[in-house]
Amino acid sequence: MKRRKLLSLFLVAAMVLTMAGCGGKSAADAMGEEQPDTAQTQEQEPETEGDAQEAAEGESSAAQPAELDTSERVDLVFYVMGDAPDDEQMVEDAINEILLEKVNATIDMQFSTWTDFQQKYSLELTAGSADLIYIANWLNYGQLATSGAFEELDDLLDTVAPVLKETVGETNLDMCRVEGKIYAVPCAWAEYVCNGIKYREDLREKYDLPVPDSLENLEAYLMGIKENDPNQGLLTVTTEESQGFLTGFDAAWVFNLKYPWVNANGLPYGLASDYDSPADVYDYWYSDDFAEDMKLMKKWADLGFWSKSALSDTNNSESYKNGLCVAEVAGQNPNKQITALQDFKNDGHDDWKSEYIAYGEITNTIYPGHATQNGTAVVRGSKNPERALKVLEILMTDEEVNRLVQYGIEGVHYEIDDQGIYHNLEPAHPTFAYEGFNTWALRNGEFKLPQETDIVLNEMFDKYEKLGEQTKFPNVNIYNGFSENYDAYQAERTAVSNVMKQYLAPLQAGLVDNVDAAVEEFRQKMTDAGIEICRDGFKEQWAAYCDEYGYK
Amino acid sequence: MKIKKAGTTVVFEVITYALLAIGSIVCVFPFIIILSGSFTDNTTILTQGYSILPRDFTLSAYQTIFRAPRDILQAYKMTLYYTVVGTAVGLFMITLTGYVISRKEFKYRNQVSFLIYFTSIFGGGMIPWYLMYANVLNMKGSTFAIWFPALMSPFLVILMRTFIVGSVPDAITESAKIDGAGHFTIFIKIVMPVLKPGLATVGLFLALGYWNDWYRSSMFSTNSLTWELQFYLYDLLNATTALKQMTQGTGISTAQLPTESVKLAMAVVATGPILLLYPFVQKYFVSGITVGAVKG
Repeated sequence: MKRRKLLSLFLVAAMVLTMAGCGGKSAADAMGEEQPDTAQTQEQEPETEGDAQEAAEGESSAAQPAELDTSERVDLVFYVMGDAPDDEQMVEDAINEILLEKVNATIDMQFSTWTDFQQKYSLELTAGSADLIYIANWLNYGQLATSGAFEELDDLLDTVAPVLKETVGETNLDMCRVEGKIYAVPCAWAEYVCNGIKYREDLREKYDLPVPDSLENLEAYLMGIKENDPNQGLLTVTTEESQGFLTGFDAAWVFNLKYPWVNANGLPYGLASDYDSPADVYDYWYSDDFAEDMKLMKKWADLGFWSKSALSDTNNSESYKNGLCVAEVAGQNPNKQITALQDFKNDGHDDWKSEYIAYGEITNTIYPGHATQNGTAVVRGSKNPERALKVLEILMTDEEVNRLVQYGIEGVHYEIDDQGIYHNLEPAHPTFAYEGFNTWALRNGEFKLPQETDIVLNEMFDKYEKLGEQTKFPNVNIYNGFSENYDAYQAERTAVSNVMKQYLAPLQAGLVDNVDAAVEEFRQKMTDAGIEICRDGFKEQWAAYCDEYGYK
Repeated sequence: MKIKKAGTTVVFEVITYALLAIGSIVCVFPFIIILSGSFTDNTTILTQGYSILPRDFTLSAYQTIFRAPRDILQAYKMTLYYTVVGTAVGLFMITLTGYVISRKEFKYRNQVSFLIYFTSIFGGGMIPWYLMYANVLNMKGSTFAIWFPALMSPFLVILMRTFIVGSVPDAITESAKIDGAGHFTIFIKIVMPVLKPGLATVGLFLALGYWNDWYRSSMFSTNSLTWELQFYLYDLLNATTALKQMTQGTGISTAQLPTESVKLAMAVVATGPILLLYPFVQKYFVSGITVGAVKG
């Protein structure tokens, strides 16, 4: 009897657990189905707001520079990504005090949170309740602009915000052009996100190994550590940083050491072109180079540079920090190097040293982030587009306001030391962190306060800037301004993606018995999946893009 | 005296228990992993992976959470509020609706029922739903938007109606009517007391729905003070992954992200209390599942 009770209790507990676990699922499923509709609705949306908008446009063309009618108070909404800081209200109040005085307007920041942010971002544009909105290429800026989600800013910038136009600069604004029109204002600060290799300088010195600046040297570096300390993990590569249409496995990022591609890992669908001749697209997956490269991957896998279960591993984010690997090759950038330096210091690993080498340094293809990486747009349907743009101008070009919106209130949230370096006053649990509103698009190089870590970062940026000047297109990020429209070949694209996961990933992870046979099989499956259709579609759009911007 | 069981019965029972036992182990196992992981040192999780019993036992994850418990307690408070208010109001409305469409003297009951049933098959879709609450009813940002949209569910109305039809014979209400009772008196004094198991079931479904919901917070909250508990947890995980991916493209510091063991401890803190509550209400649950069923 007693045992029976126990068992039934156990079963009940089991049921309870399954029930509790099932809760949110249906909502998530439903969302997945609904998503494709979002884009369509957006296109229709402006019509519903037509009247207000026409009226607004009429006003704008009539307005003269610096003669903005501010007699009526307006309350604007600024939609940004991520989570709100604790002291949101306090900082907003401080900003609004100034804004009311200057242009009789207030601003309310609204946050997307990081849950379903893509979907909520589209919904926000559909609903049209915001006035200003953060834009980025990873939020489909190009496509949204084409479908009419944002106000055209060409005229407005001249009439309402000439100072803003000057601060940001013509070249930057031009990069935000979609079909010839400006829809967004980028930030006024060049950031270098050049991918590269992060490696342990202290181990390199200790065992007297070469700097991993080529495939041979990287191999020698890893081999050297393996020979001296067989228990040390070398690379924790997985498929996590290789989710798009460029690579299937993280280790394949090392080929950026070899090819001067226009973009890290080349172009989608196994295509590639060089930075110096972006429009000159050639084939990579079906080339002999590719087969050779895969043989190298097999060799490295056989040498035990990464785990045999690398394809199914997921947990790689903290292994470098904890000394479980001696280099990271995929998805790295100067900021991650800074984070690593900080981590080593915080964890008490004072004798560990992290170094960073950008792929572009070796192949001479250094370029900064694209202007559309961080920008602000005026939402079409906003009842006060001029005032919104004026407020944006103040947020970016007024030193006091810019400091407030980026760093909070001096003396409460942060202080500046003798060297002009930013320090948060509550580093353990900040109520307003550095760039606490996530307004990366409002960065203005002139007013940007360096953090302690930025000293190293700025040194790196200075170095990259000089290198970037020597390229054929000085300091121009070519690839990231391009946005592909794949509606016409969505089905083939999905099939290609599946083949990449199934055949390319093991190939690039070197986990195949016979490389030549596996390469052949992979190519065959790719052809079957319809790679040619994707490639044709992509090439056509890419050629048009290169033509439009003169990347020859 | 013991009754002897036939051989086949014994075999049947052995197989049944074995299957159920395996099923329960499969269900319980992940939770044990979460529990033990939350007591394990973070570096140990990263270097050696998860285990059934915690290696390197530590309470540090819980200490981290409860050092600044304000956020999680606030989320708890809000979820309790949504659950209590939503369940009470929802139960009231569902019962009333179910009662009305079960009454034969209500002339348009078929039309009204159809309107309700229709929405259980055809929905307007997510975007109209969102626009309705955000732009038309202007509820975005208020706590109202969190509990209001879930008050009525066609499934629960149907369940309630079936239950009322099955357990309240017309003769009872008719006799009350002859004694001079009005509609409301009949409902409160005659019908409600008979409905207790039905109320418990529907109430439980509603409460569970509110407790587990995160989606409406995600859609309509503009202030983290109004977040539901599940959304608070979900967003914590999402923020971690999003920021990790974002750092590829933009410069954001990842130093402040929660560690593995803290995430697991969060899950325990969030699900623990409701798990303890279950054994006490589970009998209603079981009866509830059979309420709407056709009895032979």
